[in-house]
Amino acid sequence: MFCIAAFIVLLFMGAVSARYRRYLAKAASCMLRRVTFRPCDTTFKQDLKDHMLAPLAVRRPGLVGPASVVLEVVAFLVVLTTIWSGYVVVESAANLYVYGTCNKQDSASCSLGAEACSIPDQTPTFGESLAAWDIVGAFGNDFVRLGETFSAIPSRMQNWDAETYLPANASYLNGLDAKKPTALEVIDPGCTYCMELFQNIEEAGFDDRQNLSYIAYPIQSATGYKFPNSLLVTQYLEALRLNPLADAKTPVDWQILKRIYTEENAEGVSWQSVLNSTDATEATTLLQDWAQEFGLSRAQVDTVASVAASTEVARIIADNKTLVEERIHTVKIPSIIFDGRRHDGLVSVGDLD
Amino acid sequence: MKHNGLFRRTTPAPIGTDRLADFSYLEPGVVYLDSACQSLRPQPVLDALTEYYTGYNACGGRVKYAWGRRVDDEVAAARQGVLGLLGLSGRHYAVSFTLNTTFGLNLLLQQLPHDRYARVVTSHIEHNSVFLPTMTAAKRLGVPRLVLDRAADGALLYEPAQLERAIVVVNTASNIDGRLLTNLAELVRDTHARGGIVILDAAQSMAHERALLQKTEADAICFSAHKMYSASLGVIIARHELLASLELSFVGGGMVADVREDSYDLLPNDPGALLEPGLQAWAEIIALRQATDWLGQVRPGGRPPAEHLSVLSERLFDSLSDIPNLTVVNAAASPVISVYAPKQDSHRLAVFLSQSGIAARSGYFCAHHYLKDRLGLPPLLRFSLGLHSTTADVDRAHDALARLMKGLS
Repeated sequence: MFCIAAFIVLLFMGAVSARYRRYLAKAASCMLRRVTFRPCDTTFKQDLKDHMLAPLAVRRPGLVGPASVVLEVVAFLVVLTTIWSGYVVVESAANLYVYGTCNKQDSASCSLGAEACSIPDQTPTFGESLAAWDIVGAFGNDFVRLGETFSAIPSRMQNWDAETYLPANASYLNGLDAKKPTALEVIDPGCTYCMELFQNIEEAGFDDRQNLSYIAYPIQSATGYKFPNSLLVTQYLEALRLNPLADAKTPVDWQILKRIYTEENAEGVSWQSVLNSTDATEATTLLQDWAQEFGLSRAQVDTVASVAASTEVARIIADNKTLVEERIHTVKIPSIIFDGRRHDGLVSVGDLD
Repeated sequence: MKHNGLFRRTTPAPIGTDRLADFSYLEPGVVYLDSACQSLRPQPVLDALTEYYTGYNACGGRVKYAWGRRVDDEVAAARQGVLGLLGLSGRHYAVSFTLNTTFGLNLLLQQLPHDRYARVVTSHIEHNSVFLPTMTAAKRLGVPRLVLDRAADGALLYEPAQLERAIVVVNTASNIDGRLLTNLAELVRDTHARGGIVILDAAQSMAHERALLQKTEADAICFSAHKMYSASLGVIIARHELLASLELSFVGGGMVADVREDSYDLLPNDPGALLEPGLQAWAEIIALRQATDWLGQVRPGGRPPAEHLSVLSERLFDSLSDIPNLTVVNAAASPVISVYAPKQDSHRLAVFLSQSGIAARSGYFCAHHYLKDRLGLPPLLRFSLGLHSTTADVDRAHDALARLMKGLS
C-alpha cells in the first residue's frame, strides 16, 4: 500500500519538480508489482519509510514503531481517497456527458453543466447511507447509479427526434405546421430556468421556426413537489389540452404558460413567483380567471377544473413522468429536444438561433 | 574545520580529536565507517590527483613531450611502489592497472588457458567478485568447481588432493568479518606442488593487513586502490609465467608493438601491459603511487597503523558486543565488524544512523551466498574502520546504535 501511495504522491510531485522524477520510476515499478499481487522487488518502500522516520528515530526512537503504523494508515488513506477520487471523476464525466451535469443526484449543484432545476434523486446519497451505517447500500446505490449512467450512454449518442417523445394531446405554441421541424420542451411551470428558456425561445424566434410543444413535468421532492403549485398548474394544462378551445390561435394551455413565464402582476412580480408562493386555492382562482380571460366560458372552466382533478389527467401526468424519466432520461429541467439533440438545462439565445 | 573542496589543499586546523591531519577536510559531524567499501583519501592523494590534472595532464606510454615523460616516470614508480609494499620483485611479478578487483579477477580468470587446469577451487565466504567469476571460469574451461569451507580463523580447509592442477581463488581477508587467510603460505605451497595456481582477492587486506601478503608466492594478487586510500583503480600483481600463459582475448591499444591486417605483435618485455588494453587512468595510477608512499610513513596518533586499528577494532568490537539484542557476527575484533539485530532491519538502522551522521553499510556486502544462502542471516550492518577513524568515532557509533536499539526494542 505504501508503494502505491508513494507512486501517487510522487506522480503529483514529479509533475512540478524534476527532483522527484528519479524516484517515480522506482515507485512505478514497485506499484506495478504490488497491484499485480507480487512482492515489491526493490527496497524502495523500506527506503522511503526509513528516510521519513529517520529524524524521529534520532530524537525519539521509541516512537518509530507507532509512527510507522501511522505512515501505513496514511498511505492506505491516500490510496483509498485516490481510488475514490478517480471513481468520482469517471462517474462525474459520464454524468456530464449523459445528463449534462456532473452530479446526477442534484444536477443544480454542478457548475459544469447548463443552469437548470434539478430532479432530486430520492435514493440516499453515499454519505447519508454511511451515516445510517448502511455500508452495502452506500456502495450499492452508487454503483447502481453509475450503471444507469453507463446504460444511458447509447441513448445519449442517438439522433434525437422530438416527435418520438411527444406526449398525448400535444399542443403547439404556434400551431402545427408540417413544414417545420418539431421541438419538445420538458418543463416545470414553477422552474425559473424554464421561464428563462421560454424568454430565450421568444427572443430567438425559435417558436417561429419550430413546432414547439412541451411535456409538463412537476418536479417531485422528498416532501412533495419542488414548487408547490406545479402539479396543480400541470393538471390544468393537461385538462386544457384535453378540452381545447376551438378556433384559438394559440392554445389556451400555451397562453397560460406564456403568462406564467413572461408576465407580471400589478406589483411587478412575475406570475411564476406569485404561483410559487401562493396557496392552492388562490392558484386555482388565478388559473380559472386566466382561462376565462383567454376565451373559455364559465361552464368550460368548470369542465376543465373537473377534468384537471380526474384520474385521466392523473394518468397522463404519470405517463409523462415515465416518459421523462425512463425514455428521455433527463435529470435537468428544462430540457429541450431539437436539431437531433437533447439539450439539458437552460439553452442560450445564441444556441437557439 | 571547514574545507574548501576535496581537490584543494586545506590549511590544517586544530582538530578536537586525534584524527589524522590528512583527513582534516572531514566535517566534524561525520563519522565514516565504511572503509571496507572505499577508504577516505588522505590529502596528499587528493593533491596528487589535482597536480596531475592541473600540472602535467598527458597520456602515458606514448608521448615524447615533457608532461608525458613525467607521467611515465610516475606510473613506473607506482608499479614499483605496489611491489615494494609487498616486498615482491619486478623480476618475477608485473603490475597491471585496471578498473577494480572484480575486473582484475575476471581479466585473469576469463583468459586462463584451456587444458592446463583440472578444477577451480574457491570458498564459501567469498565476495561475489570471486564467487561469480569462478563459476564462469569453470564453465569456460570445462572443469569442475569446488567450494570449500574456511575455518573460524579464516584458514582454507582443504585436502591436498583437492588442489591437483587447481585454480585456487580466495580472499585474504573477509569483507564481512575481516577474518584472514591464515594458511596462505601453506596453501600456495601445496597448490604449486600439485601444478595449480593461486589467485588472491586482496581487496580487504591491502590497506591494513599487508603483513599477510608480504613476500607471498601466490600467482596473482588483485586489489582495489580505492580501498587503500587511493583513487578508484584496480590493481593486478601477477607472475610473469601466469601472464605469459594467458589466452588473451581482451586486447587493444596500449599493449601492441605492431599490427598487420590479420595479426599483431604484443609489446615485448612488458608483461604487465598484457592486461592493460586501452588508455589508462593516469591520474589514479599516479595517486596510487602517493598512497603507497603515504601508507609507508603514516602514523595515526603517533602509532603504527596496525596498532592504531587494533586499538579501535577492540574498542568497537567490545562496545558493540555490549549492546543488548544485537548479534555480532565476528568471532573476534577486526577493522571490519558486522552485526545484526534479529528484530530490526539493518537497512533501517543504517538510515537512522545516517541521520546521526554515521556512515555504516547495510546489506549482504556482495556475499549473498555465504550470508543469505549458507548462514540464512538477514541483511547485516557493517562498521569498517580506516586510518582516519578515531576513538570518538567509535564511541559515537556505539552510542547512537545503543540508543536506537534501546528505543526501537
